[in-house]
Amino acid sequence: MGRTDSLAKLALAYGVHLTRRRVSRPRAQVQRLLDMYRPDGLEPLTAAEQERHPQLVGCINCGLCAFAVSRSGKTRPPDVASAYLRLYARLGDASSDLDGDGASGDPDWESAAAACPVGVPLPEVAAMVRRLAAG
Amino acid sequence: MSQPSAHDVIVIGGGVTGAGIARDLSLRGLSVLILEKGDWGGGTSGSSSWMIHGGPRYLEFDWDTTRLSTKDAGHIVTIARNIVYRIVFLIPVLPHDKNNIERMETAMEVYDRFQPLKKSHPHVRLTADEARQVEPGLSPDMVGAVTMEEWGVDPHRLVFANVQDAIAHGARALNHTRVVELLKHEGAVIGVRYRTADGVTTEARARVVVNAAGPWVPEVAQLAGMNVELRPAKGIHIVYPHRISNFAISAESIDGRDLLMVSHAGFTLLGTTDDDFYGDLDSMDVLPDEVEYLLQAFERVFPSIRSYRPVRTTTGVRPTLFKWRRYEDELSRRYEIFDHAAGGVEGFVTIAGGKLSMYRLMAEETSDAVCRKLGHQAACTTATTPLPGSERDMEPAEEIARRCGIPALAVVKLQGRHGSRAESVLDDARCGRVVCRCEPLTEAELAYAARSEQVHSLPDAFRRVGLAAGPCAGGACVLRAAEVIGRELGWSASQRFDAAREFVRGSWLGRAPVLPHTGWAEEEMVQGAMRGLMG
Repeated sequence: MGRTDSLAKLALAYGVHLTRRRVSRPRAQVQRLLDMYRPDGLEPLTAAEQERHPQLVGCINCGLCAFAVSRSGKTRPPDVASAYLRLYARLGDASSDLDGDGASGDPDWESAAAACPVGVPLPEVAAMVRRLAAG
Repeated sequence: MSQPSAHDVIVIGGGVTGAGIARDLSLRGLSVLILEKGDWGGGTSGSSSWMIHGGPRYLEFDWDTTRLSTKDAGHIVTIARNIVYRIVFLIPVLPHDKNNIERMETAMEVYDRFQPLKKSHPHVRLTADEARQVEPGLSPDMVGAVTMEEWGVDPHRLVFANVQDAIAHGARALNHTRVVELLKHEGAVIGVRYRTADGVTTEARARVVVNAAGPWVPEVAQLAGMNVELRPAKGIHIVYPHRISNFAISAESIDGRDLLMVSHAGFTLLGTTDDDFYGDLDSMDVLPDEVEYLLQAFERVFPSIRSYRPVRTTTGVRPTLFKWRRYEDELSRRYEIFDHAAGGVEGFVTIAGGKLSMYRLMAEETSDAVCRKLGHQAACTTATTPLPGSERDMEPAEEIARRCGIPALAVVKLQGRHGSRAESVLDDARCGRVVCRCEPLTEAELAYAARSEQVHSLPDAFRRVGLAAGPCAGGACVLRAAEVIGRELGWSASQRFDAAREFVRGSWLGRAPVLPHTGWAEEEMVQGAMRGLMG
């Protein structure tokens, strides 16, 4: 009885839906979606970031890049790739970690990438983390 | 054997249902003992998809179940507000899917009527181009997509928050403690005999014993000579140590089942399978076929999925109620409470079936049944009483970070586990040094977990505070973590090393099934960083 009743109600809802689709013009809703979830940090990746994403998130935290370069803000290069990149929905809450301390400047990400045994493109990782942290 | 203790109720099973019952009864003023043979939430609860959802699939079967499930999800979201987070699904529709885009949107329009009950937003419909703007990795074959919102939660923290609150209201809670016998007198169950982790056997008496052992329910019922039949179903997940997308994505499997890829705090779960299980509940393997089944489905909607490096797999068994003939996926997730007095055994109640999203309601109804048996009149308050850590708003992470001198990201993670009690964890401990850098996890939190959260081993720390949950899978932190926990628990140097080695071997078992999809060279690199622990 429950199943029959449920299917009947779904069928009715389907009819109403099709009628509504016929009489009203669909509008773009993507901006509404992004606005709705911006407070939760749910931002999309760019197409370029997505294309390189498997490499961007490939860090195994071996720590070799830390020997090659200095700190980045209050963090170390492997932390940016292994910890900060993991959490991009709430990265904005930790953006102060990435602010430079003025003393060491920005690390040489190219040298860090050259030391990476699994080929993580660290300059792109750093750029992505900064973009997502800025919101 | 030590002297027996006496309680109003003994709860067997420290998953989310048992923990919820212990909390509920304690809040009603009863004295409770809860016993868990492994760690809190270490069975079915911990191997779930980490979601509090409203059950849109029940719309085909019974709208009342959807209403009930959504309403209770709303209660959980309210009482655990600081440890839950929104999950937004993109449901891509491909040309030959079982539901076309209009049928899919109809289902979401109906589900929208229930969404306010759990404080969720209504769906949005996207064209194929719009959907790829939101998630560029989706298949170019997609004809469109609809969204659906659910809630995510760390089930280990949810279980422990219930245990913690039960203790705060007078309950006694023991993990790594196995019930070996039910004590009976004139046909009634009057208590249990249990063995603690250090091998000591003890008795405890109670007026009612509750069997909330999840898939182990039949085994515990047998101790009382009772037969409770389940149809256990195995489910696996592939775990990626990062977010693959900021949005969750659904996919249709080769046999038409709905699969999910869900981004949680800092990792992604891809699952799940649903297969009848006849093996040993305490020893389950993930099979390469199960992994392939999941990847095959997701490759169709998210073509680059095989390029990502998984870090482990999880597996668990759903305690589904018995039903003959139906396919596993069609089985109801309903639950049933058995008062075994009807079968001639007084003082013994079993709760079977159900799911994480309805745990609070299951606990309430079981507690009602227990209170009726005891003639105890006290109303349930778990729908409105906040769980520990959700009593007040959280402070901005960066302010706590500045005050305590630790990275703001470590505070973000700390708050995800402890909510508004995060700072007190740091106050109570000594050191803000980061032990596990992928997570990141501070020494202070790890020491606190060993001292105050019943962490007795490294796997307990993995569950309680996310130790080694990141991309290195423990390679960079497990020895340091063993030092911190060992110091708190009084381990010798060799015990610390053995604990680390045992942990690494255990994680290897969960990683091996997904290795064909990653690089063996990378795995060797990770193992090289283990400093001989794998040797």
